[in-house]
Amino acid sequence: MDGKTNDHLQTLREMRSRAVLGGGVKRIEQQHARGKLTARERLSLLLDEGSFQEFGALATHNVSAFGLDKQRFPGDGIVTGFGKVSGRRVAVFAQDFTVLGGSFSEVQAQKISRLQDLALESGIPLIGLNDSGGARIQEGVRSLAAYGEVFVRNVMASGVIPQISLILGPCAGGAVYSPALTDFIIMAGESTMFLTGPDVITAVTGEEVTAQTLGGVEVHTGRSGVAHLSAPTEVAGLSLVKLLLSYLPQNNNEDPPQVRPDDPTNRMDESLNSVIPNDDNEPYDIRDVITAVFDHDSFLEIQPAYAENAVVGFVRLDGYSVGVVANQPAFMSGALNMDASDKISRFIRLCDAFNIPLITFVDCPGFLPGVKEEYGGVIRHGAKIIYAYCEATVPKISIVTRKAMGGAYVAMGAKQMRTDLAFAWPTAQIAVMGAEPAVRVLYREDVKNAADPLARTAELVADYRAQFFNPYRAADVGQIDEIIEPRETRPRLARALEVLRTKVQQTPPKKHGLSPT
Amino acid sequence: MDNLLWGLQTTVLGMGLVFGLLALMWGLLTLALRLDRPDEPQAPSTAAEPSPGPQPALTGGPDGETVAAILIATLTHRAQRRREAAPAMRSYWPGSLLYASRWVGAGRARQNHGWRRGYR
Repeated sequence: MDGKTNDHLQTLREMRSRAVLGGGVKRIEQQHARGKLTARERLSLLLDEGSFQEFGALATHNVSAFGLDKQRFPGDGIVTGFGKVSGRRVAVFAQDFTVLGGSFSEVQAQKISRLQDLALESGIPLIGLNDSGGARIQEGVRSLAAYGEVFVRNVMASGVIPQISLILGPCAGGAVYSPALTDFIIMAGESTMFLTGPDVITAVTGEEVTAQTLGGVEVHTGRSGVAHLSAPTEVAGLSLVKLLLSYLPQNNNEDPPQVRPDDPTNRMDESLNSVIPNDDNEPYDIRDVITAVFDHDSFLEIQPAYAENAVVGFVRLDGYSVGVVANQPAFMSGALNMDASDKISRFIRLCDAFNIPLITFVDCPGFLPGVKEEYGGVIRHGAKIIYAYCEATVPKISIVTRKAMGGAYVAMGAKQMRTDLAFAWPTAQIAVMGAEPAVRVLYREDVKNAADPLARTAELVADYRAQFFNPYRAADVGQIDEIIEPRETRPRLARALEVLRTKVQQTPPKKHGLSPT
Repeated sequence: MDNLLWGLQTTVLGMGLVFGLLALMWGLLTLALRLDRPDEPQAPSTAAEPSPGPQPALTGGPDGETVAAILIATLTHRAQRRREAAPAMRSYWPGSLLYASRWVGAGRARQNHGWRRGYR
């Protein structure tokens, strides 16, 4: 090899070395001092060993305003490329906080957009590791336009390839919308997300608030519902991405991976036969039912701290990925409200987009009554559930475990919601409304004229309960396909899904529906 | 007759040399095994002594606690790999044509009727 080629190789190697160092050794040390990993360290933890193939490592900005020409770093604050997670191809980008605080630039957008295009064309999941102070102010409108380039691709890829955002540091201003447009947001460590920071809020409204109380992990996983999962550390967050990906397919034309079954489908858990308390108003934890029915150690709950009156998540049945939706009787008696409706409807649409069958456990006394709920638009929120179930074409199975009252029964997967199979436990109570209010409506005069109104009410309530508080009326009219013992649930579901695995259903051609918002 | 005696002498000498060397090697191997044998356990004393702790499971190998720790670590790792649907735990690769149903493939193509790659 002659000397000139050697020089070229030496130049390339030096540039690559600079790129690997990001913002430099000092900045890396500062990042470590904050208890955070660098972009490349994160990628090495996320991806299979030796699988990462980077591109755009030498790209830099060409802006000279505000002295930016003296701050040019190869890669421009983001590492993009392809890799493998558990042997599956993924596209991945990681913002590098050591380079100008990971600020979002035109070059960053070009690199992410290129990655998004390639991921969409290749039909592979896109994972973003976000750690950025926000837009690069020195670039002006270029930086804002850059956001737009990423947003439009987020939307185009939505429902085609899984998109997962892992927030590992600050994510502020317009930058929050890209994760918000993806399928999952996982917040790790001390990460934060907000549109306007604490200083701006103080200046505008006078409210004093810290970054954590404004947009910390607890806020977005518990109150706002913006984030779907959280992890105490960056390493745990990266592990959670791998776990989440295991339930998802590569794209909307494929199925999620099937894990070799290690839990027999004929297993019957006797504890299920006694899980429903004798007292109708006594709560039980629906998670106990879910963990007993599905493959052991396979339940990954999504948004566990948000709208706890509903439980949604991924499980496996015979190794196949399944989405589970359930009311939670242990919280607000499992009544549906605005947040629960949003949580359920979005999860249904997500499962439908990625060919994941849906199983619904119903124990719902109805929609939560109240002025706040009505003023907040519980009608349109509740309608989202109906819309999502009706729109979904994946296999859908419902099991009424106890209460299924009124509109909530219809919304939570009645046969008319294009549910494929409807099961009920013998403890099911399927009625238009509860016994006491029904008696008040139906027998107002009767009770009023009775010699002993209380005794008469009790008698009528008992009669109503005997008539309606069972699943047999619903089975009579075909609303329930089969009444099963609770312990039979697992084998029944496994056999039903085995049949429905090749289900194909079409909706009328249209640009897109108008889901209630 | 001379040739026969000469032949017999050569045979006896050659065979003797071979068997002699084999016997020497046998002796050396026996000696090596005897020297390499682990120490004889001490005869138990007549008086009952408290047990010093868990006995090693394997002579010269890791003790029982180490084996248990390795076992738990292996099972935990296996469970984690199962949860993450690692390649060794999968029935088939995502997108594998071997397990694809034509019915489903055609149906999904119809479901995605309006989709175009070039969206601009």
